[in-house]
Formats: sequence, structure tokens, C-alpha cells
Amino acid sequence: MAAKKTMTLNLTDAEMRVLDELCEKKDLSKTAVLRQALRLYQLIENRVDKGDKLFFEDEKTKEKAEVMML
Amino acid sequence: MTITVSPIFLFNAERSEPEAAELWDGITDQQLGDWEGEWLPELFKAVQKLHRAGVERRHWPQSRHWNWRKKTEALQGMLAHPGFSIVCNGMTQGMMIVDTTTKRCRIEEQKGKNLVYVEFVENAPWNRPELAQPPLYRGIGSILVRAAIALSQEEEFKGRIGLHSLPQANSFYANTCGMSDLGIDPDHQDLRYFEMTPEQAEAFIAKGNQP
Amino acid sequence: MKIEITKEWCLRMAEIEANAEIGAGLYALDPVFDGETMPANETNEEPSIAFGRFVRLMRRDRGLTLEKLAEDTDVEIAELVEIEDDTHHKPELRTVYQLANYFKVPRSNLLQVAGLTAPRDNRLIDEAVRFAARSESVAVLTPEERAALEAFVAVLSEEK
Repeated sequence: MAAKKTMTLNLTDAEMRVLDELCEKKDLSKTAVLRQALRLYQLIENRVDKGDKLFFEDEKTKEKAEVMML
Repeated sequence: MTITVSPIFLFNAERSEPEAAELWDGITDQQLGDWEGEWLPELFKAVQKLHRAGVERRHWPQSRHWNWRKKTEALQGMLAHPGFSIVCNGMTQGMMIVDTTTKRCRIEEQKGKNLVYVEFVENAPWNRPELAQPPLYRGIGSILVRAAIALSQEEEFKGRIGLHSLPQANSFYANTCGMSDLGIDPDHQDLRYFEMTPEQAEAFIAKGNQP
Repeated sequence: MKIEITKEWCLRMAEIEANAEIGAGLYALDPVFDGETMPANETNEEPSIAFGRFVRLMRRDRGLTLEKLAEDTDVEIAELVEIEDDTHHKPELRTVYQLANYFKVPRSNLLQVAGLTAPRDNRLIDEAVRFAARSESVAVLTPEERAALEAFVAVLSEEK
């Protein structure tokens, strides 16, 4: 975790809006939100690559719906 | 893996004096080697001693089942799971792995907010009171908690951290660290869940700055 | 990341922390007891024999060395040796869990047989005694041993 590099992102208006909403909701800067997104993405890709499945579980019915297909 | 080393101090209880040490922001092969070559044999010996002395199993050191190599290999390279280690006198004295991404706060006032969750943290066997009389180095727990807080602040989580304490460490997290005790968690093998607010984090840091 | 901590802070906290235990983490404890609650435990000689015998025969039936079984179940080989050879040995909780998963038998039943939890099922315990009595040598499973093992596994596999 040494020096950080700066990068320019090209996002659509819709994407920027979503980013702003997430920042607002989570009380995090844009950078922080995107770093979280990257981490989550890597984690998920890692598990899916291993053959694990990612599910959402409906809180009421306990039904599982697969989120990502390989 | 590039490691950033931060200078720290431990208290050498044997010599009754401070000793310079290092806080590393990662867990490397060196740590795994130390764990396998030094921690495990010590742990084994201590467990054997307890076994022979007829000590009830529930008083045995509680973290001897961890397999660091497996754990770290599974989490290797994952941005969401940084590790920290403390090295002193050429030997790993403490290790910690955290989760910066998948956990959220439970304390009502900060419910749902991001936090740095301590997946596991352990002291070297010779630093632990139930295994060594007297324990060699002091201060490892506090420094690692401080590291978790620092990371939390760096992540913009304002110092919020959380963890499931082993029963014998409940007092440390409740009293020394001043964390909120959210009770026994049935989903986590009945370990007690502790969480820290930004204010508690500040207070913890301030504690060490008092003369 | 660089973390700035003063020497004074380190030493002050070392003083406050003193000789505290600091361990934390999910994988630390044996699942059932954690030092705060402990199951009632009566050591019963026969069930322990059955447990060691069960492990040994299941292992041999799969053509595994102790080493391989240790590797596959992530259990210390020293522990497996004690389990199979030392009838007085009380296995670790996690070990029984790992073996139950590996041999695909219900954990709760195997825990009783291993003598780690209070016996709840008398029939299971009786069968364990019977199994211990019937199974003996170290050669390839004889038809009798196989029959005994299969019968015991059937009982062990019953979920209540």
C-alpha cells in the first residue's frame, strides 16, 4: 500500500449520478466508493473463478437467486 | 508484495525495557515461516503441557486451530483483506487480517456503515499469559488495534472497527480498547462481538497519549 | 500504508495492556464449546474405542495412509495417530468435525461416539460398543469387518 496514482474516469451522466448517490448514502468520497467497488469486484471474481456461486437470498421466502453466471 | 514498515516499540517484559520493533502492512512468507517454524511448535508444547497437567480443555489456548498459511493463501492478493504483522528481534510477534469491504456496522447509531472488520488477530505463543510465564513482549494487541483504526480512517470509515473476540480476550477489547460489547453472536460460534465508534477510536488513541 | 505511532504511545499502551489475551477471529474456537459454555462430559471407555476403530477402518477402506488422511482433513497427523492407537485419547472437537464431514456422517452422532458430548442416543452408544468389540485386525478389511463397519455406518448415519 505505497504511493497512489491518479486516474481519469469517463462516466456517463447516469453513472455519475449513481456514484454521487452512493457517496451520499455511504458518506464516502467518490474515490472511497470506487475503491470499495473494486475490492468487491475482485473478491467476487476470485470466488466465482474457484467455482463458487453468488446468491441473493430473499429475506422473507429464503429463496435463493443466482447473481452471477460463469 | 511490497511492504511498508512503520517503526514501533514493544515492551520487553523479560528485560523490563522498551524494544524497537516494526509494524508491517502485510503478511509475508516470513510470517508464515515463523508461524510454522516457531509459533506452532511452541503452541504444541504448551498444549501438551496443559494436557499432561490435566487442565480442562476449555482452558486451553483457543486459537491453535488456525491455519494461517491456508487462510492467507486464500486471501492472497485480495484488496479487501489486507494483513498486518509485528516483527521484533527478527521474529513475527503478532499477526492480523482484516476485511475492509464485506462487513457493516451493527451499533444502532452507525448501523449499516462501512467498517474495518478484524478477521483474525493473534499474539505469538511466548507473548501470551496462559502459555508463557511471564509473557515476553507487551503492547502487540494495542498496536494492532491502532493499525486497524488507522486503516479505517484511511478508508474514510472514521476509525470504526469490529471483531469477534475470543472469550479470554473479552476484557481487553471491552476495557483497554473501550469497545462496545454487542453480546454473544450465535452466528459466529458464540464469540462476543465488539465494535468501535469513531469517538471510541479517538478515546483509545488518546488513552495512549496521556502521560 | 505508513502508520505513525509514537514510542510513548506504544509504551503507555503496553503498560495498560499488560499481559492481556488479545486473540479474535471466527476460526479460533472449537464450534461447540468456547470456554463460556461447556457440555457435560462423561468419559466412556467403549465409545472412544469405537471412534478410533471407526476412523482407522474408514481410512483403510479408502486405502489412505495416516498422512494422506491428515492432509485431506486438515488435521494434525499426531492427533490421528493418537485417535487410532490410544483409546484414552480424547480427540479435539474440530478434528471430529473434520472427520465427520470427510466421512460424511452426522457430526452430532460422531461427537457422541468420540465421547466429546454427553451421550444422547443409547442405541448409538450400544452399537458403538458392539462395533468396537467386533472389529480388530490391521490387515485389509475382512468380509466380517466390512459387514460390521457397514452396519455401524448405517446406524451412525441416521439423522434424528
